[in-house]
Amino acid sequence: MKNIADHLFDILENSAKAGASEVKVKFSFSKKKFFCQIIDSGPGIKSSNVVDPFVTTRKTRRVGLGLPLLKKTAEDTQGYLKINRLNKKGGTNLEFLINMFHIDAKPFGDLARVFIDALIAWPQMNLKLISQNNSTDDVLIDSEKIKEELGAEVMYSSQIQNFIYKTVKKELIAKGIDDHFSIEPKRKNS
Amino acid sequence: MKNLEELKMMREKVKKDLQLRSGKFRVKIVVGMGSCGIAAGAREVMSEFLDLIEKNKKTDIIVTASGCYGFCAQEPMIHVYIEDKPPVIYRNVDPNAAGEIFTNHILNNKVVEKYLFSKGKK
Repeated sequence: MKNIADHLFDILENSAKAGASEVKVKFSFSKKKFFCQIIDSGPGIKSSNVVDPFVTTRKTRRVGLGLPLLKKTAEDTQGYLKINRLNKKGGTNLEFLINMFHIDAKPFGDLARVFIDALIAWPQMNLKLISQNNSTDDVLIDSEKIKEELGAEVMYSSQIQNFIYKTVKKELIAKGIDDHFSIEPKRKNS
Repeated sequence: MKNLEELKMMREKVKKDLQLRSGKFRVKIVVGMGSCGIAAGAREVMSEFLDLIEKNKKTDIIVTASGCYGFCAQEPMIHVYIEDKPPVIYRNVDPNAAGEIFTNHILNNKVVEKYLFSKGKK
């Protein structure tokens, strides 16, 4: 995995593969700490130690590297990765924190592109992207609402895809998240 | 969502484009997007295919994703399904290879041997 965007896409792929119908991605970025919470409505993780690379449910191989790699990426920067089952019925809550000031941090990569790719790759999965500020939550993408109001086929239009991409990108830049190691958010007096 | 109104306005503009797309798809491209695929650059490949479709103004090609095929060393891998043709699997596909496969195989029906992994029977 070259960057955080790849990791994020990998986590979304886990949810999609598990058959989650809804995935909520919440993120915040302050003091160079990138926090991300992913809540899905899938069946939930049965095993207790999924971050062990030798624990996997797949049949093709005996190793599963997605989560262990993310754990490594986060812990290399003195961050963390936490995974909880939401309740008995299922649902998974995954959180990770990455310190972008750390010398071992990976670049962000194109985060906005991740969500567009996810919308294209798994059209059946509803994706909600939420940007957390101090007290308020900004919903950047709500694919369920878009499908409801505009029709499901609207996601195939590249113009619509580009429009969503640009709005998300703008919001990310405003928060200081660029493709590399973050930029200073605009100062008031300069 | 803030931009829903703007999106609604855009929907009118792209209506024609969408009507063309609502028909049957002639070609389906499936990109392997397991952890291995993503680490090897499968997302770039998918973006490249989407760009090519856009550039060539094709409305009968769909791009989707699948999980790991079990041949992680050969990633990024793609499946190409063309109507009435046996499916073809390519290996080690980078954005350049995607271009070659798109022009030769998808547009002109010539299988690109250089990146061929296997050809399925119908």
